Amino acid sequence: MDLDFSPAEREFRAEVRDWLSTHAPGPLPSMDTPEGFAAHRAWEARLAGARLSVVSWPEEYGGRGASLIDWLIFEEEYWAAGAPARVTQNGIFLLAPCLMRFGTPEQRERWLPRMARGDDVWAQAWSEPEAGSDLAALISRAEPAPGGWRLYGHKTWSSRAAYASHGFGLFRTSGTRHKGLTYFMFPMDDVAVRPIAQLDGLPGFAELHFDGVFVDDSTVLGEVGEGWRIAMATTSSERGLTLRSPGRFLATADRLVTLARRSSAAGAPALADRAARCWTEAEAYRLHTFGTARKIMAGEEVGAAASMGKVFWSELDLRMHTLAMELLGERAGETPWLDGFLFSLAGPIYAGTNEIQRNIIAERVLGLPR
Amino acid sequence: MNFAFTDEQLALAATVRDVLRAHCPPAALRSERRPGWEQLAALGFFGLLLPPESDGLGLGLADVVPALEETGRACLPGPVVETAVAAPYLVAGAPKLASGTVCVSVLLPGQVYAPDADLANVIVVAGADGLRLVARESARLTPRPGADPCRPLFEVAFEESERLGGSAGPALRRATVATAAQLIGVARELLAVSVAYAKVRTQFGAAIGSFQAVKHQLADVAVAVEFAAPLVYRAALAVDGDAATVERDVSAAKAAAGEAATLAARVALQVHGAIGYTEELDLRFWIARAWSLSAAYGTTAAHRERVRAAVLGGDVRRYP
Repeated sequence: MDLDFSPAEREFRAEVRDWLSTHAPGPLPSMDTPEGFAAHRAWEARLAGARLSVVSWPEEYGGRGASLIDWLIFEEEYWAAGAPARVTQNGIFLLAPCLMRFGTPEQRERWLPRMARGDDVWAQAWSEPEAGSDLAALISRAEPAPGGWRLYGHKTWSSRAAYASHGFGLFRTSGTRHKGLTYFMFPMDDVAVRPIAQLDGLPGFAELHFDGVFVDDSTVLGEVGEGWRIAMATTSSERGLTLRSPGRFLATADRLVTLARRSSAAGAPALADRAARCWTEAEAYRLHTFGTARKIMAGEEVGAAASMGKVFWSELDLRMHTLAMELLGERAGETPWLDGFLFSLAGPIYAGTNEIQRNIIAERVLGLPR
Repeated sequence: MNFAFTDEQLALAATVRDVLRAHCPPAALRSERRPGWEQLAALGFFGLLLPPESDGLGLGLADVVPALEETGRACLPGPVVETAVAAPYLVAGAPKLASGTVCVSVLLPGQVYAPDADLANVIVVAGADGLRLVARESARLTPRPGADPCRPLFEVAFEESERLGGSAGPALRRATVATAAQLIGVARELLAVSVAYAKVRTQFGAAIGSFQAVKHQLADVAVAVEFAAPLVYRAALAVDGDAATVERDVSAAKAAAGEAATLAARVALQVHGAIGYTEELDLRFWIARAWSLSAAYGTTAAHRERVRAAVLGGDVRRYP
């Protein structure tokens, strides 16, 4: 066991830090506005130009073939530099790992380089009005048509879908519950999109209506009927390593400590203690992730243990932003902390609610009866 | 960067675990003061951290953290941390230390009482003028009441003592991390026992472990342990590498491990219900150990305060 970064890892960190220090933009308008979405896509293209948009991907798709440890280093530097949230994150962190594992060479070549450059922005179309955390209850369906499929149904709470060019999601091709689901990747051109304003008033969500949208056979990821297995690989990466890298929480924790120190309320020991606790917990999440990365690099499955990380980071993020709101009081709205607070409120809900995560931990990690 | 224990480190832990399963069963906690010690000594357990010139193996703290977790998991009585972890940095040259035939208790800065001092051949006491070595026969021990029947506490008075060179710091840091590792082991055992009980205990015609209210409490314990343990491992590496952040890292580890273990104890008691609130169930030994170790080598509150002072004071350096 050691915690020493290799000379190559330190060199990579220095390169990323150096590049970001000169290229990272100041705050961009929200990605959930037309001008913000465009600005974020332009930033993704600049990142891709420096081959920093997807460092852990193979070089042929725009990456550097970097190790998971390098990816964690990149993330630490990225968030510490105050660089913008990733408008492409659903694609690069959720779809791409499955596309690399289950996709055909043609599918990978067709979609991955464009995703890496921000040419295509993907939305995740998992949830349905009656199937949120109970994903196997979804009823949207795909019916065979000459040369492909016709999609019918209603998806909702789809992040970024108001402006995204593509979506990926599960549709029922036969059977019940998790049997007979198929994973589709589709352009949004013929999908009816209704934006849904979130707590901040911006259309971060959308609902999608499919009224016989035609997609050709090349949009099926993996085998027909294998969608559940592939989706579980996605949700495991969503809850685990990929969606919420420690870098984001480390940067938040550092800013929280600065805020607690500067604020007059820092004279209150209880608030100062909470700030220090959050800082330590961000450290704990970072160290834990180094351990997880090592397991993945050694070929081990993380599986249901990812649910522990999801509960931990989402509640830590909420605690940090709640404390910031208390420290700032009525001035919170003049800072980025308010947006962060609103976003942190979603953490215990999305990617499978924390109630579901605790059930998974209890049943699949601890072995308690259903 | 390889934040995972090596096969050797895990093999040592597995050996300790097997030995303690065989020689420190729960029944022994009621009848013996030092069950399993002889067998651990035969393994060379008490010489793991000693330098080779003192007949030890010269291992680092990180090498033995998984093994120390096992001593917590078994609720092993006796001054284990004091003899195996602190003594090598206080009285490394003491004869027979490596063989385990000398038993050591300590009273270092931050401690109030010396644990298991009645079993010790020598007691190391930190005073205003430095460290003192007190032979058991020169010490007057006054028992003090405590929560843990297997970790008795003593006030130590003495006339004669021998002056020791060196400082308490290295031993204290290691004893604190070792205690944190034991707390992780205690928490893991409390969780395992509670999960096993929740599977078999039925109420309203169903195993209580199928109730979400019970599941979620146990899941929270699993999460607390899962994210306290890496802080303990990091602290052990910080001690071994004499990292600049070592004091802060040690305190963060002790506080997190103490909180995880006391949560595990609290939930274990709740899940076991009234039977858990009895002396006859072995569970009480682990619950008491969670309390006694979270108070040892600085309370959780004291360590939280140290972390707060460091972090809010501007020490936000990361190790690594």
